[in-house]
Amino acid sequence: MDIELSPEDLAFREEVRQFFAENAYKPGEDYAKWRLDWFAKARERGGWDVPKWPKAFGGPGWTPAQHYIWEQETARATLPWDMPFGVGMVAPIIMGYGNKEQQERFLPDIRARTVNWCQGYSEPGAGSDLASLKTKAVLSEDGSHYLVNGQKIWTTAAHIADWMFCLTRTDDSGRKQEGITFLLFPMKQEGIEVKPIITLGGAHSVNTVYLTDVKVPVENRIGEEGKGWTYAKGLLQHERTGLAGLSRSLVALEGLKEKARSVTRGNGTLMDDPGYRAKLAELEIDLMAAEYTELRSLASAQAGAAPGPESSILKLKGTEIQQRIQKLTVEAAGIHAAAWGGRPAGPGFARAGMAGYLASRAYTIYGGASEVQKDVIAKNVLGIKRSSR
Amino acid sequence: MNFELSEEQKLIQESVARFIQENYDLEQRKQISAKDPGFSRDYWQTMAELGWLALPFAEADGGFGGNQIDVMVVMEQFGKGLVLEPYLASIVMGGGAFKRGASAALKAEILPGVIDGSKQLTLAYAEVQARFDLHDVTTTARADGDRYVINGSKSMVLHAATASHIVVSARTSGGQIDENGISLFLVDADAEGVSRENFPTVDGLRASEVTFKDVSVTSDRLLGEPDAGFAILNAAANDAILALAAEAVGAMEVLYKDTVAYTQERVQFDHPLADFQVLQHRMVDMFMEYEQCKSMLYRATLEAVQGDAQAAQRTIHALKHIVGKYGIFIGENAVQLHGGMGMTEELRIGHYFKRMLVIDSQFGNADYHLQRFAA
Repeated sequence: MDIELSPEDLAFREEVRQFFAENAYKPGEDYAKWRLDWFAKARERGGWDVPKWPKAFGGPGWTPAQHYIWEQETARATLPWDMPFGVGMVAPIIMGYGNKEQQERFLPDIRARTVNWCQGYSEPGAGSDLASLKTKAVLSEDGSHYLVNGQKIWTTAAHIADWMFCLTRTDDSGRKQEGITFLLFPMKQEGIEVKPIITLGGAHSVNTVYLTDVKVPVENRIGEEGKGWTYAKGLLQHERTGLAGLSRSLVALEGLKEKARSVTRGNGTLMDDPGYRAKLAELEIDLMAAEYTELRSLASAQAGAAPGPESSILKLKGTEIQQRIQKLTVEAAGIHAAAWGGRPAGPGFARAGMAGYLASRAYTIYGGASEVQKDVIAKNVLGIKRSSR
Repeated sequence: MNFELSEEQKLIQESVARFIQENYDLEQRKQISAKDPGFSRDYWQTMAELGWLALPFAEADGGFGGNQIDVMVVMEQFGKGLVLEPYLASIVMGGGAFKRGASAALKAEILPGVIDGSKQLTLAYAEVQARFDLHDVTTTARADGDRYVINGSKSMVLHAATASHIVVSARTSGGQIDENGISLFLVDADAEGVSRENFPTVDGLRASEVTFKDVSVTSDRLLGEPDAGFAILNAAANDAILALAAEAVGAMEVLYKDTVAYTQERVQFDHPLADFQVLQHRMVDMFMEYEQCKSMLYRATLEAVQGDAQAAQRTIHALKHIVGKYGIFIGENAVQLHGGMGMTEELRIGHYFKRMLVIDSQFGNADYHLQRFAA
């Protein structure tokens, strides 16, 4: 057992820090240009623009320790805005199950961040039980295209996306996991209507998407018809492991302590309140343990072993920790967190704190609600086989 | 960065696991625990022969030259069997203080016996008024020529009845709660003026209330410098916390796995209990907190061996907090999910649960260490 980073890893960390410092955004710069340039420069480093892509597709081929260092450093640096749907979600599916033509057609734009994607999964009747989806895709008689009809919901960034990757039903005669087909299509076309959904914090990030006779050429189907669930399941696993965000939580916790120290209470600050302090300490302790749970999981990946049981708990623990940080931020703001109009009151972080807290309630819902995660752990890790019920 | 055990550590782990498998089923444990001295002298001898008692002592002193990671390996396995032998008391607590403070001559006199099992140490640090503070000491040691005279009472001294020597904290200067002014002494357990009232503890181990009345020791029995015993005491307590946490993690694994197995066998309402989602989710919670405790155990142990001392101390507080809190959480839920059977002495669950309760209160409970962490 050993927790020290190797000299190579320390050198890598230095390199990453230097890269972030040299390419940081300078006030006044054209943001959109800086953003694309940043990714181009990261690419020149040998795939730093797509850290998780396999080497064969231009990824850096890092060790788990290098990935960990990257995550730690990105939590402290200000990186250009990025969405997970392209590079992180649809790209691995295109690499794994798409044909060569599709790979050549889609991957370069995804990588350059010039095309935005959204994920057409959830439907009004298919949330945690995603395989119940009903959006219908019917193949034309000549076999040249599908006609897609249905409704998607909670679609993040649909209003700014250029393309959607979408789960559709092509057959409903068998098990509900069968007969699902994975299609790609552009958002700016006839038959697609996007309506905003405003969530609790007042933000517009998710949408309802209505699909009416949307024509999708058969070349835009990934893999085989009816196998979409298998492809999507792999992606869901991918999504789950990426959601723990522990390095970000560590940085956020430092920020929270600073905020608490800035709130006065009697002759001291909120940090002198034993109740608040105890809650902060409990949070920090759970986060410290989760960090090592992540390291254990990384170390077994490094050794080439299958992810151990500890990996399964990271999404659950990580999102719960993020929510607790948001909650303590609202608590720190006290009554001022209630001020919601244009006129802020009290500590400067109060309004953003409330908005952040409200938005954070979704963390334990999306990407597989916590209760679904627990079902999965009970079955796959604890080995509990449910008899028919 | 890796969490693999060395080849040597794997061998120790296998050998302890085999020993537990062969010698520590519930009936065997109950029989051993029921009669004094509350552990098996044969097992203790076996542990000495297998070299486990030598693990954390320097090679120069006849030990194995191991560190806290080696002790963790042993204690985690001990936790799976709820081992009764005084490993914690003699090797980790008493031995931990002794090896840090004793002169070479004193080590040569005492340690060979500790390592071969013929001598047994313990650490008398707790006093009734002190609650969990190691530095709250009213027992006194008065210098008297080249001797010290010790007076006072120590409480809940683990396995004192069978100890040959007791390491005792006593005040040589300063006020009742000063860290400075505490000195440590090695006292023969049967020296004149030492009296022990022995009793079993709720988890089947043994402890004593020990009184020192004009107990006179020569100054070569002073461990470390006079007045400077607190640092040694604290270091031994940290070792003990790591060892207890490892034992707790082993016991937690048994608690959650036994519960998963039991709920799949027990049928009610025409279903195995494990069919019910509310119970599944409870067991997932138990499993998750077990994994978190294990992660923190690794963190604290590795930091104690390799890390910065201040950070390591903070992580030890964090460890004792979550092991206490979640150990009881897992234990209570294991009993709950076993229903009435969980309340009996027939299943192991209740015994492991009781051990969790005691572990939480040893060397400061979850609340105490949360406050120390937050301070």
